[in-house]
Amino acid sequence: MKKLTDEELMLDVSQGNLDAMAHIFERYNKRLYNFYFQMVRDKAICEDMTQTVFYKVMRYRESYRGGQFVSWIFRIARNEFSDYYQNSKKTSRHTDVELVASKSEDSIDKNDNVSHLQEAIKILDKEERELIVLNRFQGLKYSKIAEITGSSEGAVKVKIHRIIKKLRTVYFKTI
Amino acid sequence: MNCNDVEKYIVDFIDGQLAEDETGQIQKHIEACTNCKTLYDETVALLTAFNDVDEEVPNESLREGFYKRLEEEKQLLRPDVEVIQLRKQEKEFPWKRAFQVAASIVFLFSGYFLGSHKTKQSANQEIVALQIETNELKESVVLAMIENQSVSKRIQAVNYTEGFEQPDVKILEALIERMQYDGNINVRLAAAEALSEFPESSIVKDAFIEALTTQKNPSLQIAIIQFLVKIQEKRAIDPMKKLLEHSDTPDFVKEQVNDGISQII
Repeated sequence: MKKLTDEELMLDVSQGNLDAMAHIFERYNKRLYNFYFQMVRDKAICEDMTQTVFYKVMRYRESYRGGQFVSWIFRIARNEFSDYYQNSKKTSRHTDVELVASKSEDSIDKNDNVSHLQEAIKILDKEERELIVLNRFQGLKYSKIAEITGSSEGAVKVKIHRIIKKLRTVYFKTI
Repeated sequence: MNCNDVEKYIVDFIDGQLAEDETGQIQKHIEACTNCKTLYDETVALLTAFNDVDEEVPNESLREGFYKRLEEEKQLLRPDVEVIQLRKQEKEFPWKRAFQVAASIVFLFSGYFLGSHKTKQSANQEIVALQIETNELKESVVLAMIENQSVSKRIQAVNYTEGFEQPDVKILEALIERMQYDGNINVRLAAAEALSEFPESSIVKDAFIEALTTQKNPSLQIAIIQFLVKIQEKRAIDPMKKLLEHSDTPDFVKEQVNDGISQII
């Protein structure tokens, strides 16, 4: 079972073998959790959203029709984040909703590079942040990101290069 | 390869995504150009910083929550398994919930049947009540109109009675009165026609027999004779014979009488 690909596992799940779902969880829970954590630095919210993604994968397992599993699950994750983001923008006045790293948390960071990076990332908007997180933290190729975001590989690449340029400027201004 | 090109390809260069000759050209340029060397160093530092970010470890509650939901989902898939497993573990069977479900089903069905029964019943009752009401209304309209000064109104009232299956005695009496004493022959004829719809009624029969001797209008006489012959009224024979003896009686009425008498016997 453990040697199966993600796609094989998910097809198994979609045909009613829910036990295979456990392997998917073990493979992906940290990834999704960290994806959210780079977007919203709130552990409770991240845990909640991660939980919801796996629940949706289970519930809507029959809608999986093969294809890149990583793109599929990240599409779900991304939609979940959009819903959360829209709702929090509408209902909450709190700033924790913003995609802003809380300074108190990061300033204690032993690693200067990392705290500088977190500061730099703050200037990005939601879409930019999502792209850089998927590419640089999640290590996803442009083609996969294009699949996830419903864009073209070329467009994704241009955007990401632009974001890196933007980050570089801010990163070395603050250092 | 100029500085702009280097900036354009620097990320792919660091990621090792470029073809061999492009990589070589950029390599050469960077070694020669201090600006591009800085660009390269900075970009490497930035991209390295991404790798320095520690991975966050989710709370154990994430895993617990997931496996709990997984179990729930599995039981949804096989609802029978749930009961067996619960019994094995000697967990209490959810009697309360089962009772609630059963009770709600009972309520639902009894509510439905009671509701449909009641509405049917009350609808029927309503229809009957409405019919009675309509008939009563019609009767009172007839009774009010039948004394009207206008001939056409009186005929209209007489014609209204056609719709009655079992008219009130009052209606029959009113019709008989019209047949016998109305000043207009058309009303008398219409009343006779209307009354002939109720051959079962004894007062109608008596009225026709009486009318046979009192009515002088040939058309009405013929209508009366036809009715009495049709119902085979034996009591009509004597008054009919008297009509034959009467000198006022037109010949065609006499013919009708003779014809009728032979049919009754």
